[in-house]
Amino acid sequence: MSTTRAVPAASRPGRPADATAPVRRPPDRAGTWRSRLYRFDVRYVPYLLIAPFFLLFAVFGLFPIVFNGVVALRNWRLDDPTLTGWAGFANFARLLDDGDFWNALGNTFGIFVLSTVPQLLLALIVASLLNRKLRAQTWFRVGVLLPYITPVTASTLIFTVVFARDTGVANWVLSLLGVGETAPIDWRSTKWASWIAIATMVNWKWIGYNALLYLAAMQSIPRDVYEAAAVDGAGPWRQLWRITVPMIRPVVIFTVVLSTIGGLQLFTEPMLFDANPALAQGGDDGQWQTIAQLIYKVGWRDLNLGYAAAMSWALFLIILIVAAVNALITNRLGGGKR
Amino acid sequence: MKRSWKTWARAVAAGSVGLALLAACSGNSGGGSDSGDGQVTLKINFWGDFGLDELKSRYEADNPNVKISLNTGEYNAQHEDLQKKLIAGSGAPDIAAIDEGFVVQFRGQADKFVNLLDKGAGQYESKYLPWKWKQTLTPDGKAQIGLGTDVGGLAMCYRTDLFKAAGLPTDRDQVSALWPTWDQFIAVGQQYKAKSGKKFIDSATNIFNPVLGQQPVGFFDESETLKMDGGPKAAFDVAAKMIGADLSANLTAFSPEWNSGFVKGNFAVLACPAWMQGHIKNTAPTTQGKWDVAAIPGGGGNWGGSFLTIPKQGKNVDEAYKFLEWLVQPEQQIEIFKKVGNLPSQPALYQDPAIKDFTNPFFSNAPVGQIFSKTAENLTPQYLGKKNGPTRVAVENVINRLATGNLKGKPDQAWTEAIKEAEKAAKS
Amino acid sequence: MSDVGTRRAALMGRAPQNTPGSLWSYLFLAVVIAFSAFPLYWMFVIATNTDEALAKIPPQVIPGGELATNLREVFSMQDVFFLQSLVNSVIVSSVVTASVLFFCSLAGFAFAKLRFKGRNALMVMVILTMTVPNQLGVVALYILMGKMPGEGGWNGTLLAVIVPGLVSAFGVFYMRQFILDAVPDELIEAARVDGASTMRIFWSVVVPAVRPAMAVLGLLTFVATWNEFQWPLITLGGTDYPTSMVALSDLASGNYVLYRRVLAGALVATLPLLIMLFIGGRQIVRGIMEGAVKS
Repeated sequence: MSTTRAVPAASRPGRPADATAPVRRPPDRAGTWRSRLYRFDVRYVPYLLIAPFFLLFAVFGLFPIVFNGVVALRNWRLDDPTLTGWAGFANFARLLDDGDFWNALGNTFGIFVLSTVPQLLLALIVASLLNRKLRAQTWFRVGVLLPYITPVTASTLIFTVVFARDTGVANWVLSLLGVGETAPIDWRSTKWASWIAIATMVNWKWIGYNALLYLAAMQSIPRDVYEAAAVDGAGPWRQLWRITVPMIRPVVIFTVVLSTIGGLQLFTEPMLFDANPALAQGGDDGQWQTIAQLIYKVGWRDLNLGYAAAMSWALFLIILIVAAVNALITNRLGGGKR
Repeated sequence: MKRSWKTWARAVAAGSVGLALLAACSGNSGGGSDSGDGQVTLKINFWGDFGLDELKSRYEADNPNVKISLNTGEYNAQHEDLQKKLIAGSGAPDIAAIDEGFVVQFRGQADKFVNLLDKGAGQYESKYLPWKWKQTLTPDGKAQIGLGTDVGGLAMCYRTDLFKAAGLPTDRDQVSALWPTWDQFIAVGQQYKAKSGKKFIDSATNIFNPVLGQQPVGFFDESETLKMDGGPKAAFDVAAKMIGADLSANLTAFSPEWNSGFVKGNFAVLACPAWMQGHIKNTAPTTQGKWDVAAIPGGGGNWGGSFLTIPKQGKNVDEAYKFLEWLVQPEQQIEIFKKVGNLPSQPALYQDPAIKDFTNPFFSNAPVGQIFSKTAENLTPQYLGKKNGPTRVAVENVINRLATGNLKGKPDQAWTEAIKEAEKAAKS
Repeated sequence: MSDVGTRRAALMGRAPQNTPGSLWSYLFLAVVIAFSAFPLYWMFVIATNTDEALAKIPPQVIPGGELATNLREVFSMQDVFFLQSLVNSVIVSSVVTASVLFFCSLAGFAFAKLRFKGRNALMVMVILTMTVPNQLGVVALYILMGKMPGEGGWNGTLLAVIVPGLVSAFGVFYMRQFILDAVPDELIEAARVDGASTMRIFWSVVVPAVRPAMAVLGLLTFVATWNEFQWPLITLGGTDYPTSMVALSDLASGNYVLYRRVLAGALVATLPLLIMLFIGGRQIVRGIMEGAVKS
């Protein structure tokens, strides 16, 4: 979840904005060279302008994804370069009864649910509060972006210290509240504890960012919508759920999809939460090893790139399906017709 | 229109600035390199502390054409990285350290390392502990891929201040007499815990490893068969008993929390191969004088100990050997011992007054030279299989799960799991 | 009682933007900000203290005076290459930002203001590419980089992290949206009549008009590039040439990991971005919000 996002969902790329229609120029017989140049400029230069993007994207964005599929069907081991050739679906078949893969899949979903749901709900609430008439408005908006700007690497390391069993401030605060006074919680030892710790990091990172996305959408709701709803006698809370959220449904769906794409590829947090990050094992029993982390381990520690590529493809498919399902569910919940 | 060419030119210029930058930053890659004027940079990869910081400056001063780049990293990662680079055919350091736990794996790829016998290293054979020399020698005796640095003869480090507070003796001979066997060691631990209310050991894996080192056969026998029922089972049982008696602070070894446990006095004893002295000193300098060294229960044994090798792909093989040869000379080996505690693997040095009479102020002036020499001399070496490294990580994981994770309170189930995980790791 | 009643009545039917924040909403937001800022504060506390201070229970909650010592230790750890990594991160982020600004404004300009065959279809493609999870191609990308010209390919060099970042679909999309509104067509037409070429128009009409958008896109790109971890770890991990994020993870592995050192390093690697937020916070907020609405 480290790249910038935008809302393409509702964009209208085909908007007719063609006031730039070719300029009418007097035919210039004397300067055919000039006019040829001009024609070239108008007809072909636009392609030149967009070419760098498409070229670079094709080579370094699209090709790897496609080529990944090829790699997945081959033997491709860094530790045995002589072992090559087509492997057919062997790598995919191996996935089916690889306990590590299913374990990682479970962890990925567990952490995903624990992080996405609170993240988006809280973001909605924060956004609705930011949408009020506030003093120091900019200050608040910039403030909620602190986590977004902090490198995930750095914040994960901080949280690792916060969640340390014996010296961590999380356990100290909990002990003040009477939790784990004698036996402090070992945040790395069980699935649940480690999932909660990691989900906390993810929530921390993205609540503010999502809140700003929601805020942007909220501000584009016409104000008279609220006035019309006055008849209902909606208080601020009901106003939020009954009017605001349905009005910004496209953005909500968009953030759900993006959180799905990002959440299912979670890598940095589980990586650096390990007591020994170099092992990429996600706990002694892989209790919080995510798929992205497993791909890294299989590819660059076990040196089996073919198998890692097959895992990547499996993850790709899973993401597509889950993103679609989530979008549908959100649409339903939001009262959408389609 | 004329102007438009200028604008194009400007665009091209902007683009090429970017490309120039790219070119500039792509220049630096790979391992050691020479920069034309006879200047040579030797890159050395290792983990922990090999005591090279000051030796480096000295060597550089004596050999102005050589620069040495020390590159310490995580233990497992360094071995994996070396393996990766050997296969890739480039990128390996000029000198790579290898732990004895990974030696068989790399010995099997002797063609990827400089044969030190060709460089005249044969003259040092008689100086080394015979088994140490053999560990990096190919079975046919034709190629020697590394020269031994240290051996990890075992002792037990303990905190005198904490022992005193718990009413235990603090004198090292009396302490040694408390625990000839591991069972007695556990009894002392229970006594300590009853008095102080604190945990006795740092981590069960740090008991498992030395106990395993004391066994005649480790994870694998010499035919590379996994033998979990022998040594590993014995070591696992001791570790499990420690956990069962709730004597362990359950700090994952080499994690930051383990390191802060040193400072906080979270545990009172720590199995100490010679190289561990340097770790304690580096991690918790403020505990100076609070440590002492006693004998380890169960008799002699070895845990760790390393070699320095020269991968063939390096560009400065000759300079690398020159440095390596210099490094294994008595003077340097003794200096390393004094600095970080790594015990040389050349027995003649044990008689050298510089080692024999050396007492370490950090460890209450314990005669560490004598203590560790004795453990090293009485050692029966163990064969460490090709997959020893990953197998150990796998079993350590299970022990950690028994201590704090989902196998808590289920030692029998944990043992079954340990066998399963070890088999998986041995096969990988 | 009646007071509450009238307030409630006053709230009814009022758009949130016109509703003054109540004490509760200020309080809630303050908690959110505190929650957001706490880890950063905690990083500072740990980075400025000694091991002893940190081992205490209850924990040390105020900054100490050991920052300089801790930083010296971090920068003197040879194997971590921390200083080099900061330089590398600056190079990577700057080159990527410059390139994204240049190529994306070019393409955004073409999509917004020029007419050519297949324009709409191509724009749809740009938008679709935004949803492609690039991280899933890392295995193939690694192989591809290994096959690039030069000894050992590009893996382990900064090229491997720079080149894939040179363009961004989001950048094209964002610049297109901005140019659509910010550059009046008449201006372009007038320039054409004067005989200006497309490139000339780009430099003298479009670029001056979209500077604010470039500032926003530049900030967002710089932040995202600086924070990149997975791919740099794969291609630069274990080399002497890491980015600062990879160096940070090195700082957290190995045999002598001390929290105060790790977080002193994290502090240094975070500081440039905190300064950017401090100076350009408004722009970053705007960028994120416009990215969401301009559609």
